[in-house]
Amino acid sequence: MKDIREDIAWAKINKDVLKSLESPRKLFWVIIICALAVFGVGIGCEVYQYNTGLGVANMDNPHVWGLYIASFIFWIGMSHSGTLLSAILHLMHADWRKPIYRFAEAMTTFSLMTAGLFVAVHLGRLWQLYYALPYPNERGIWPNFQSPLLWDAMAIFTYLSSSILFLYVGMIPDLAICRDNIHTGWRKKLYTLLSLGWEGTDRQWRNFRVTYLTIACFLIPLAVSVHSIVASDFAMSQQPGWHITSFPPYFVAGALYSGCAAIITLFIILRYVFKFEEYMTLPILKKTVRLTFAISMVWTYLNLIEYATVWYSHDEVAKAVLLQKATGTYAPFWWMMNFLGSIVPLILAFKRFQTHIPVLLTVSLLLNVGMWLERWMIVAPTFSHGYYPWTWDHDQWPSMVQWGIVFGSFGWFTFLFMVFCKVFPSVSMYEVKEMVYHRSLATKRLEDTRMEASEKGAH
Amino acid sequence: MSVTNLLENWSEFRHKHPVEDVPHDPYKWAMSIDMDACTGCNACSVACYAENNLPVVGKEKYAHGQSMHWIRIERYWPEDDREFPDQGAQFLPMMCQQCEAAPCETVCPVGATNHTADGLNSQIYNRCIGSRYCSANCPFKVRYFNWYDYPTTENVWPAEMVQQLNPDITLRSKGVMEKCTFCIQRIRAGERSVKNEGRILRDGEVQTACQQVCPTNAITFGNLIDPDSKVHQKWKAQRVELDVDEQVKDKEEGGSELRGYRILEELRPYPSVMYMERVRESAI
Amino acid sequence: MSKRHLLAIFSNFHEAEAAVKELRNSTIKGFDANNDLIVKSPIEHPEVEEFLGDKPVHVQWFTLGGALTGGLLAFSLISGSQANFFSQLKGGKPIVPFPPNFVLTYEMFILGGVYISVLGFLICAGLPARRSPLYSAKVSEDQIGILVKTEEESAGLLKAIFTKHEALEIQEEAGK
Repeated sequence: MKDIREDIAWAKINKDVLKSLESPRKLFWVIIICALAVFGVGIGCEVYQYNTGLGVANMDNPHVWGLYIASFIFWIGMSHSGTLLSAILHLMHADWRKPIYRFAEAMTTFSLMTAGLFVAVHLGRLWQLYYALPYPNERGIWPNFQSPLLWDAMAIFTYLSSSILFLYVGMIPDLAICRDNIHTGWRKKLYTLLSLGWEGTDRQWRNFRVTYLTIACFLIPLAVSVHSIVASDFAMSQQPGWHITSFPPYFVAGALYSGCAAIITLFIILRYVFKFEEYMTLPILKKTVRLTFAISMVWTYLNLIEYATVWYSHDEVAKAVLLQKATGTYAPFWWMMNFLGSIVPLILAFKRFQTHIPVLLTVSLLLNVGMWLERWMIVAPTFSHGYYPWTWDHDQWPSMVQWGIVFGSFGWFTFLFMVFCKVFPSVSMYEVKEMVYHRSLATKRLEDTRMEASEKGAH
Repeated sequence: MSVTNLLENWSEFRHKHPVEDVPHDPYKWAMSIDMDACTGCNACSVACYAENNLPVVGKEKYAHGQSMHWIRIERYWPEDDREFPDQGAQFLPMMCQQCEAAPCETVCPVGATNHTADGLNSQIYNRCIGSRYCSANCPFKVRYFNWYDYPTTENVWPAEMVQQLNPDITLRSKGVMEKCTFCIQRIRAGERSVKNEGRILRDGEVQTACQQVCPTNAITFGNLIDPDSKVHQKWKAQRVELDVDEQVKDKEEGGSELRGYRILEELRPYPSVMYMERVRESAI
Repeated sequence: MSKRHLLAIFSNFHEAEAAVKELRNSTIKGFDANNDLIVKSPIEHPEVEEFLGDKPVHVQWFTLGGALTGGLLAFSLISGSQANFFSQLKGGKPIVPFPPNFVLTYEMFILGGVYISVLGFLICAGLPARRSPLYSAKVSEDQIGILVKTEEESAGLLKAIFTKHEALEIQEEAGK
């Protein structure tokens, strides 16, 4: 099956995508208010926690980290999808990414913004967060650059700003289209301002192409390093269950995994809501699903490697932590994580389900639940069963405050994403045109070759 | 920020601790705890509460693991089939080990915990933003976080007890990490008082609160590099060295009958506290 | 003689290409194919470069400079701040440890590279750009536009060339 029909009129592409920017239906407003309400729950919990102290999160000694760190890693992980699609597949000349990378990039940006919230929520003295920033001061005090948490801060700042720039630069030609076709109100002003006077001249396209490629080349090592640095929060510590060399690639694999699953979810939703069936086609969905399946197998492999290396090592403490994960307080969640992360994606291997929308929607959501559980299972069991026996005497479960804030973050993300989809084109119009153009060229070449062959045959 | 400052600091500090060529001078504070002498009376813990203005968190929070005792008495029972299982607990007073290569120091994002020249792990309350990475990385879990704002909480220091608070110590608000400091306020006060006499502190002139109240003298505290100090002599008698991850005496054939050891020293934090094992009935 | 702009819109890429080739090969008074000719299109056409002549792209020099500067600045800042402390030993590590400094240098190398690339893009592409005197929204939809600047008397010649190559529309700037 072809990824996209080659006879789609370019004017139609413009029209269809611009239609998604029209005034939203009532359902949109209902959902966005729900999202804000959910976010409000999170804000309420955070205000309570800010005023009272982190004790209300039910954290204690030694369980000093909880769902905030787990969710932080989850959201950073989800952000890798956009880079995977925009940058990695771009370098691989995988054209099928073209209709879908725009919303994936947006997802990256908003995931990073959501992850930033968790950094703030996790700190004991949030109002002094700026101590972690390298600003010159008269005491000559700088943050501790040796700390992996600080590398996190720098890496995520780099990743967030680079993603926003990449998203924006890639959107300039589309913003020009919006400017040319939307003539009224604040939108006209916005698009005129943001499109920077783009007119599609050869000089502009030439430089655009090179810049896009260059930034893509930078974004790939950046994305890999960002999640490796987040993994170093754990790998660079001494704690059993954390001090594992394979953590950086394991985390990157997990990030790509949850990002791809989220892409499938949003793909299905956007396709239905905006009627983008011609652009976000089933063959493209199939390719995304296959990619997710491949990544899920990589993640499964790295996961099993972690268990195997611990099991066959002489590190009794690490073995004890692994046993505790499988049989201790958190065991149901650990087993669920393994099931959702390794067994459930096997459904995606069957052709029958690779384009079956309800199954895919369910599976992609389940995969992300599994990935969230994975992050929690990395954080919690090590605290429960660390080096020091005195700390093994009590269980710890997150309080409703923690769950409320985690829940609220999904509302924030949804809100941002919905606003984006209504203000900016969520399908890249010029890239879809390119895709159709190259498709038509390829078909024409094929026809020419066939004609030549048949002529030769005739003689 | 001057270049001279930079170069001076560089040349002075470019070696790792523990080091031979740039040793601690003139102080390296260390402790030795004799677990055979320890009766588990908890006087040291109470004294620490009094000396350092530690908040009493109450039964409920204590059960949740949110206690603030900088020195804690741990109880261990051997798992043999004795008639009365609760009998015969071994007591282990555990406080911040003031590790030479402390895992907590490298991971604080804002540099609120550092190593002082006299061998202590410092915790700077003002700088701490409460990321709790230091506690996550501590193998001993001796760092305590202020989960609530204790100075403004009721019944933390019931009415009359407010009068016993130590004016030399700040009160910590919520969101700040704290831990045992080897009573640094007493050390600094002692250093100041002998400075006028132009000498350094002698053994016994500064006592930590826990050492001061221990009825059996189980806790010995002092300057490890002063050959006349009790703690130096104890470490030497037990053949425990500061800057190794496996003691020489343990590598010798047959092991060693000396009681002195350090906890989790194979993780290489180089703790400054030596424990002397309790003499067990089975060993005689 | 005053110069005027003409904008021709084509829906057939090959015809547009042929028109440009003809314009480049011709010598028309008051019209310099290198400077007065701009091709506008809805998607990028690398083939355009072939028949417009070689115009180098300088963005990657910006990238190189930015990345190197970012990395160097980061390393200097970090090492300088670590070395300038009074006595902030941490964890038995050296005062200026290489592994953590390397991580941050790498990140800032990328940061510098990306930021300066974007800056370079804006400079090299001339954005934000003043809008051309003649523009058609069709250019952002599905048609190719050729904007030429020429003296008034040559306008007729150019129009003829455009019409020959099936231009759908020819816009002309109003006379001054």
